[in-house]
Amino acid sequence: MSDRILVVDDEEQIRRALRRALVARGYDVEVAVDGEDALSAFGTFAPDVVVLDLNMPGIDGIEVTHRLRSWSSVPILVLSVREDEADKVRALDLGADDYLTKPFGVPELLARIRALLRRSEPSPAHTRFAVGDVLIDLTDRTVRRGGAAMHLTKTEWSLLDALARNPGKLLTHGWLLHAVWGEGYGEDVEVLRVFISQLRRKVEPDPAHPSLIITEAGVGYRWAQAPAG
Amino acid sequence: MAAPERTTRFPAAPRSSIGELLRRPPRSRILGWLIAVAGSVVLTAALVPIRDELTPLSKGFFYLLVVVAAAATGGFGPGILASVLGFLLFNFFFLPPYGTFEIGRGEHVFVLFVFLGISVLISIVVARASERAEAAEGREAELRLLQDLSSSLVQMAPGSDAYRALLREILDRFGFESGALFVQDEGEVRGLREEVTVGAVPGSIDVRGDPTAGRPPERLALSIGSRVVGLVVLCGERPPLAPAESRVLRAVCDQLALVIERDRLLRSATRAEVYRQSDEMRRALLTAVSHDLRTPLAAIKTSATDLLDDEVDRTDEDRREALQAIDRESDRLNELIANLLDMSRIELGVLKPRTASVSVGEAVEAAVDAVRARWPVVTVRSDVHDVIVRADPVFLERVVSNLLENAARAASSSSEPAVDVVGERVGERQVVRVRDHGPGIDEPSKEALFYPFYRLDGRNVRLGPGLGLAIAKGFLSLMDGDIWIEETPSGGATFAFSLPAADMPT
Repeated sequence: MSDRILVVDDEEQIRRALRRALVARGYDVEVAVDGEDALSAFGTFAPDVVVLDLNMPGIDGIEVTHRLRSWSSVPILVLSVREDEADKVRALDLGADDYLTKPFGVPELLARIRALLRRSEPSPAHTRFAVGDVLIDLTDRTVRRGGAAMHLTKTEWSLLDALARNPGKLLTHGWLLHAVWGEGYGEDVEVLRVFISQLRRKVEPDPAHPSLIITEAGVGYRWAQAPAG
Repeated sequence: MAAPERTTRFPAAPRSSIGELLRRPPRSRILGWLIAVAGSVVLTAALVPIRDELTPLSKGFFYLLVVVAAAATGGFGPGILASVLGFLLFNFFFLPPYGTFEIGRGEHVFVLFVFLGISVLISIVVARASERAEAAEGREAELRLLQDLSSSLVQMAPGSDAYRALLREILDRFGFESGALFVQDEGEVRGLREEVTVGAVPGSIDVRGDPTAGRPPERLALSIGSRVVGLVVLCGERPPLAPAESRVLRAVCDQLALVIERDRLLRSATRAEVYRQSDEMRRALLTAVSHDLRTPLAAIKTSATDLLDDEVDRTDEDRREALQAIDRESDRLNELIANLLDMSRIELGVLKPRTASVSVGEAVEAAVDAVRARWPVVTVRSDVHDVIVRADPVFLERVVSNLLENAARAASSSSEPAVDVVGERVGERQVVRVRDHGPGIDEPSKEALFYPFYRLDGRNVRLGPGLGLAIAKGFLSLMDGDIWIEETPSGGATFAFSLPAADMPT
């Protein structure tokens, strides 16, 4: 059975182009013209991924994200334009999984959709990652580098855990701060930046060129590595 | 001759000069002296015939009446005069021996001096009481005037007219001939700027007064705390201000200072609001432009990258559709960019029309192709083949194509998908009407129709058909043209514009 994708955009030409590109690649596509339409289509169509435009009249993408998240964990890919930086972060904070900035190429879109579909598969028990000479095991809480065990502080562990358990997902500053430090650190991005750089020195094969923890400028971080099994 | 000045009417108040109210009227002072002299003489003349029938003491009481009357009317001086006169006349005519200032009996000496003492005391007491009453009256007048002026101040709408009316009121009440109000300038150059002048040619009174006038002017600084907000200069041939007058004037000026400050704050608040709104508007416009430019671009990019992927098996139909989308969206982008450039050139004011005799029919024909391509269902029926106007051919084409597109958009969704272009000669003007038979325009939308963008809801802003209409309006206004909205008789909207007819001498 092919994967089902719900495309929500108020602009007809975008809906048509996206549908054409996705159908040609074997996806089952349904389109919705606005937020209200999206919410009702979601119930009947049961998509595996929602591709959601943020800037719509009426119930906008942020509101749709908010409502969908109250009863579904379906992966949401939001589409924004460069001027909607703040909206994009809000949607991600509300639980959207990733974003694409218009205009984007079809290969990029497909890559994001595939990543989201992979993630939504039943969560693997594997929590081990192997990159270069670095071995990370979340279950055993060990990091080995060239065979030698690295010591991580409690906070570094929480941060590593929060990132690596959401491979591929764009995690906003706000989400990470809340997940690791709890309430009250919502705005302190500087603290997060310091800990990320400490963590990179311990877990990245080449800390100067991160391949595990990828920075999404102005938005957050993404764990780029799939579990090793 | 200067144009008649507009005046703000003040509430009717009894008009009398403040000097009149505050100074003891000289008339009653004279009357006091008169009473003192005439009263004493008349009384003496009346009492002499019957002087033997009365005791000396009772005759004295009559003189006290005169003293009281003189003191009450004229104050202390007339009272004392009446006392002294009474003392002398009483002694001369009524204390034996009559006709001399000699006093026969020791008892009478005593009576005489008691009379003098009592009458002096009465003069003092009565004069002081009447002075107090007058002072109270004066203060009341002062208060009344202050109240009149300050209630005018409070009711004043901000602006020069109100200042002018108030200044005129001050001149009237205090007997000045001319005056000027200077206000601290808020601009880059700090200094006093003439706000209004009354009773003289504006500019003839400077901050030091009228240099040609004889008397030094009254100069009253308007200040709030230590900060000077203005200056009132009053000129005219009148006696220097009495203390009470200058007290009232000072109080009025203090209030005027507050009003000027209030007006200044109001103006700066308004400016801030205007700035905030225009800032908001710019931001909204930017969002709208970015959305409208990016949407076709995103469709093009999606279709192109879709086609570039060789791994996919796609039908010819799919391929053609993707190419058509790219074509269509490129046109849309092109049109939008043209409109935005037109709009900004109109707003920058860099466009100069090159006017010639131009055929409206040709402009319509040029625009029809684009309309037909975009809305194939819509028919354009043109009745303006022979209509010639004075216009810039390029501008006219933009006007016509924007109006046709606007009408075609409305017509495409209606049961009668047709647009009519009809001409009508009205005097020296040529009117052209572009009619659709669509849903028409409701009253509230008409206002906003010529704005380049509109709001869909609280947050989202889109460039609307208003952009095209705003451009049409902009171009027309550069060519001595007008544009307006009518209703199509059979339903729908009609956009009409007029331009100078071409065969008229220009």
